[in-house]
Amino acid sequence: MHVYFWREAWRSFRAHRGLAVTSVVSLTAALTLCGIFVLLDHNARQALAAIGDRREMIVYLKDEVSDAQLATLMDKIRLYFGEPTYVDHKQAWSELSEQIGDPDLLSGVDDNPLPASLRVRLKPELLSFAAMEQAAKQVLEFPEVEDVRYGAEYVRRLDDFSSGMRATAWAAGAMVAVAIVMVLFNTLRLTVVARRQQIEIMLRLGATDRFIATPYVLEALMHTLLASVAALLLVFALQQGLAPRLVGLTYLPWTWSLTFVGVALAVAWVASAAALTRILRNIGS
Amino acid sequence: MISFEHVTKRYGARLALDDVTWRMEEGECAVVLGHSAAGKTTLLRLITHETQPTSGVVTVGTFRGGRLTRSHRALLRRTIGVIYEDFRLLSDRTVYENVALALYISGQHVDADVAPKVRRALQEVGLESHRDLLPAELSFGERQRCAIARAIVNRPALILADEPTGALEPKSAAEVLSLLLRIHREGAALLLGTTRAEVANVIGGRRYMLEDGRLRDATTAAPASSVARAAAPSSAKATAEPGDDATTPKHQADLFPPSTKGGA
Repeated sequence: MHVYFWREAWRSFRAHRGLAVTSVVSLTAALTLCGIFVLLDHNARQALAAIGDRREMIVYLKDEVSDAQLATLMDKIRLYFGEPTYVDHKQAWSELSEQIGDPDLLSGVDDNPLPASLRVRLKPELLSFAAMEQAAKQVLEFPEVEDVRYGAEYVRRLDDFSSGMRATAWAAGAMVAVAIVMVLFNTLRLTVVARRQQIEIMLRLGATDRFIATPYVLEALMHTLLASVAALLLVFALQQGLAPRLVGLTYLPWTWSLTFVGVALAVAWVASAAALTRILRNIGS
Repeated sequence: MISFEHVTKRYGARLALDDVTWRMEEGECAVVLGHSAAGKTTLLRLITHETQPTSGVVTVGTFRGGRLTRSHRALLRRTIGVIYEDFRLLSDRTVYENVALALYISGQHVDADVAPKVRRALQEVGLESHRDLLPAELSFGERQRCAIARAIVNRPALILADEPTGALEPKSAAEVLSLLLRIHREGAALLLGTTRAEVANVIGGRRYMLEDGRLRDATTAAPASSVARAAAPSSAKATAEPGDDATTPKHQADLFPPSTKGGA
């Protein structure tokens, strides 16, 4: 990109300061809104990942399972479903006692009724509700298995919440993209109208649409860059303000921040180029 | 170089050009005379493809007729230097930047390449000392010289001048015409549209009358000019000051009566 175009972009930026400020403020508002959703999505993902880590499948074993059968079963489960941990009768009883807390409540129970089980930490690809449901059916087919539990309803709700958050983030992103397009289109149209006479002269001198448009596209990118950085700072301030009240609320990782700016610039590039093509078609011949 | 084949141009009911067939060769000099609204500007605009003929074919170099794409139109215009009566300078750019713009548009973006060419063009029109001034700080004559520098900086083979002295007082007008003649003698074809016969007399070359949309060759009726047939490139000094050209009329004030409009 030649210095000429940057010089022209900077000249236009300075010449239409009022318009530039309006554009940057409007874009900042839209991008801040998007940034808040991205922040929520990021924290929701983190929370879901933490919860997902605790997702496990409990495989209850029949009483008559021998050690050899258990070892074979564990190998199969390890191969296809995840990492199994064996919990025998006694350990299960002890854990139940701990959870209940009051030993008197269990004093009436003579024999330990709890079966031995395998706690399976599922492979990452099996953590969705559909995959877990399918895996549970398959595990239940093994003759050594009495029953399988994986908290189906809980997992399904978790998945619904997760996809809802993602859809909301996408919808917010799409709305902001539309906002960017509209703000830039109108800013560029006003800038071009203000310089219409000059553009007509340039067309008469043989300037191509691309030559005329490039400085304006760069100017739009400057607006968007400023706005996206301002939006990230505002979101950072919001996160800092809320962090003491919402434990675990973290700011976006730098890769997310860079992606945020990059996507905003990409949208601005496409929007401004498309807008200018349309605007310049209506100027001169 | 330029040919019109049975070109007719209408603006609604008004007939601007009526079945014009005409040709201009490389390095030639021609003046189109006609009263205001006779169609001179239309003729020039047809050459730059700013407008399309209602019928007929306009060919400029290798660009033959039809509606050119925007990029082809831009390419055509970059090969022509155009000078307008109202200068068409960018008001927020200095003299230097206005001239450099033509080079940037033609794809020369490196400042180190642009600067010497602009300097040379400004020297040719005698505006080197005004390079950092804005158009509003120049007299009308200086503005037109700036526009000429912009038109010649790319060394085009064809210069179109649409009433280039229309807004100038006599002395400036004479300087501008002298400059145009010198550029023509250096090899560029020159096509000038004017309402004033005295301008045509100074420029010489082939003379055409445009009346009622009809273009008539009036060369024989015009006073003979030594420049008329001197289409071949000359070795005129590129950096000579305006007005010092050998062909500059000695009685410039007589050629441009006080009624001439404009001037600053």
